[in-house]
Amino acid sequence: MAGADLAAPDSGKKKKGRKRKGAKRISVRIDMTPMVDVIMLLLTFFMLTTVFKLPQTMEINIPPDMKTQVEVPMSSLMTLRYTADSTLYYNMAVEDPQKVDFKDLRTLLIEKRNAIPRLIVLVKVEREGTFNQMVDVMDEINMAEITRFSLAPFTDRDKAIIRKVFGA
Amino acid sequence: MIRKKGRVNIHIDMTPMVDVIMLLLTFFMLTTNFKPDVVAEVILPLSHSAIKLPETDVVTVVVTKDNQLYMELDSQVLRAKIFGEENKLRLGIPVPDKNTLADLLIRARVANPKLRTVIRSDMSTPFGQIEDIITLLQKVKITRFSLVTMLEETT
Repeated sequence: MAGADLAAPDSGKKKKGRKRKGAKRISVRIDMTPMVDVIMLLLTFFMLTTVFKLPQTMEINIPPDMKTQVEVPMSSLMTLRYTADSTLYYNMAVEDPQKVDFKDLRTLLIEKRNAIPRLIVLVKVEREGTFNQMVDVMDEINMAEITRFSLAPFTDRDKAIIRKVFGA
Repeated sequence: MIRKKGRVNIHIDMTPMVDVIMLLLTFFMLTTNFKPDVVAEVILPLSHSAIKLPETDVVTVVVTKDNQLYMELDSQVLRAKIFGEENKLRLGIPVPDKNTLADLLIRARVANPKLRTVIRSDMSTPFGQIEDIITLLQKVKITRFSLVTMLEETT
């Protein structure tokens, strides 16, 4: 960068080791203001358009065929039902469903996983629910380090079971 | 009338400032990732999953809030093959229905067996739509796929 050289013409002679006879220096001063303006604009542009947060992914494996029947012991099966009105119900095996708050879900999952090592979670999200609900539940299951889970359709039978227990 | 004062000539040396700004500019220019191109704008759901989205060999199924389906491919060669030569430069094409999507997915997988399937959907898409797509993926024997999410910082 061309800095302003304000040295007087004869100042060179005073310095030690200077061999060259002081040719007449022309004091050059470059006005940097326009350059600074442009650079500032560019900087602002890059600062505002830059995206540090890139999307991540969540991996899911599904069984190759719907028809494949996998026998699971009833005792290690946990069913999670998530309705469109964001109420979460859970039940072990064939027990009656119980309501559970979403924020307590992880503790519940960890507790169940510790109690039953071969725990399988069956997730049923109502068709009228949102994609976000499904991702939320899957995320909680992943965070609880449960590797065996499966997605199942939320049927009228599930609706009937919930209605039977909670009415309306 | 105000009497003119004798002006003091002030010169500020801008060199250090310019140096710092140049450094910052270089930093931003090198680290910038422009917002990736998308065929349709979706609001992604949040999750704690931190697996990076692969950049190549990806086929993306986009589901918008109002159940519009799109399919995206990252390679131009593949796009020309699957979407037709005229759509080569378009990132993705709208897909009218699920049978067409199944057909396109099969053809894409035959053309490039390494393709990874990714579902990018709006967070408020009805779950039924996603369920149908998962069933469809199962039918076309794609048993491994990913959902695109944004990283959630909190625990």
